[in-house]
Amino acid sequence: MFENAAIIGVGQSAYTRRPEPGQTALHFMRDAVVAALKDAELNAADLQGMAVASFSLAPDSAVDLAWKLGLSLRWLAQDTNGGSAGMSMLGNALRAVETGAAETVLILGGDATGLAGYAKVAANYNTATQKHLSPLGHGGPNGVYALVASRQIRKYGLEKSDYGHIAIAQREWAAKNPYAVYRAPLTMDEYLAAPLVADPLSRYDCVPVVAGAQAIVVARRDRAPKGRPGVRVRAHRASYNYDNQEGDGLQTGIGTFSKELWQEAGVRSEDIDVASIYDDYPTMVLAQANDLGLIPGNDLARFCRVTIGERRFPMNTWGGMLSAGQPGGHAGGLNGISEAVLQLQHRAGERQVKGARLAVATGYGMTMYRYGGTAAAAVLERVE
Amino acid sequence: MSAGVPIWRCANCRAGYFPEPLLCPRCNGGTFEIGRVHEAVVEEVSVIRHMIGQENWQPRRIASVLACGGPRMTVGLRDESGPGAVIELFEEGTAPFGLAKNPA
Repeated sequence: MFENAAIIGVGQSAYTRRPEPGQTALHFMRDAVVAALKDAELNAADLQGMAVASFSLAPDSAVDLAWKLGLSLRWLAQDTNGGSAGMSMLGNALRAVETGAAETVLILGGDATGLAGYAKVAANYNTATQKHLSPLGHGGPNGVYALVASRQIRKYGLEKSDYGHIAIAQREWAAKNPYAVYRAPLTMDEYLAAPLVADPLSRYDCVPVVAGAQAIVVARRDRAPKGRPGVRVRAHRASYNYDNQEGDGLQTGIGTFSKELWQEAGVRSEDIDVASIYDDYPTMVLAQANDLGLIPGNDLARFCRVTIGERRFPMNTWGGMLSAGQPGGHAGGLNGISEAVLQLQHRAGERQVKGARLAVATGYGMTMYRYGGTAAAAVLERVE
Repeated sequence: MSAGVPIWRCANCRAGYFPEPLLCPRCNGGTFEIGRVHEAVVEEVSVIRHMIGQENWQPRRIASVLACGGPRMTVGLRDESGPGAVIELFEEGTAPFGLAKNPA
């Protein structure tokens, strides 16, 4: 339990499939920082720490970004953990505030790689990808998770339409999110008729690449804007390289800490009001939700058809990355945390989950070779 | 093109790995013998029909395979082999490929 540190502000830039000429990741990140500071009712000079993750910083580093933002800091971190970077940075920022290393920390992620830039990132993600996957024409993460999806479908008796329930439900939420890139309703017929990208994954199973940025401010609770409920983190855990890529990818690193996470949080998975599950693919939403214990009896099919299909559980209420878009995994993971904060503060507008008090959010990423090797999760709580 | 695909076998516990490790995850041994594995069983197959940033992309088949006496790896398939098929492994550059061991 983090007693002193809390999330006191969130902000994001616009998301777009095609950035304007000259519009770089740094511009999107600047916009997110301005929005988050305004939300936290802080000035840039109030920030004592920053954590950042982006594919687009090189050759710059975190300190160069601090310079460009005019931030003089006493705590600085740069994270490279892809889809779990947002959640990793949250944990590090909370601990920095708890220990007094910094009273206020900005967490920032964003990218504007464009499709060609993303293709380069995907082909050169790490040495294993460069040497052993890219020469196959493996299709980047789409190809990797297509193979994982095939295993999941066989192991759990899923049908293609089961993934469709997740994509369609999230599109309904996205319709209520003005920042989401895709907001038009999606029907099961349209989902099933969509062209295959990497069998069995089709268009709506694969996260769309966008340009954009997200920022969060973590600080001592007494720095929070007055008159607004605070959001504290009851528990946070992370896992890195949990199985040396020797499993089937249907369990994630979340499975290594799930029990501890709930014990430390002092709540059960069934107590959760709203969930942000990292959703680069519906396949991995199911794997993480199952590891968290959100799927009774490991019955993934029922979870898709009934729990999500009949809208019995609010998951990825901003539309998820599948509909809102993925501005790099780093910022995509931050978006899920931001949405959990807005829901717990009852500031989510049309998509507000009534009476939300407890949320769980996850991050998952770094497709090392056969599947992702990093994962992190947190249980968040509304505090009056 | 060379026959087989390299695997790194721990000199202490004999566990086989691909890609190359630095320390054995099972016994922490730091010495590996490089061998070659020539056969594998196909477990899952995908067809990559679209590649971001590529025009005129021709579909390609990839597969997750269990190498005989070795680890699981991802290979490019050069024929229509499906799950359960035994394939011959070969290497182009540093990438593993396979095709049916006994094509019809």
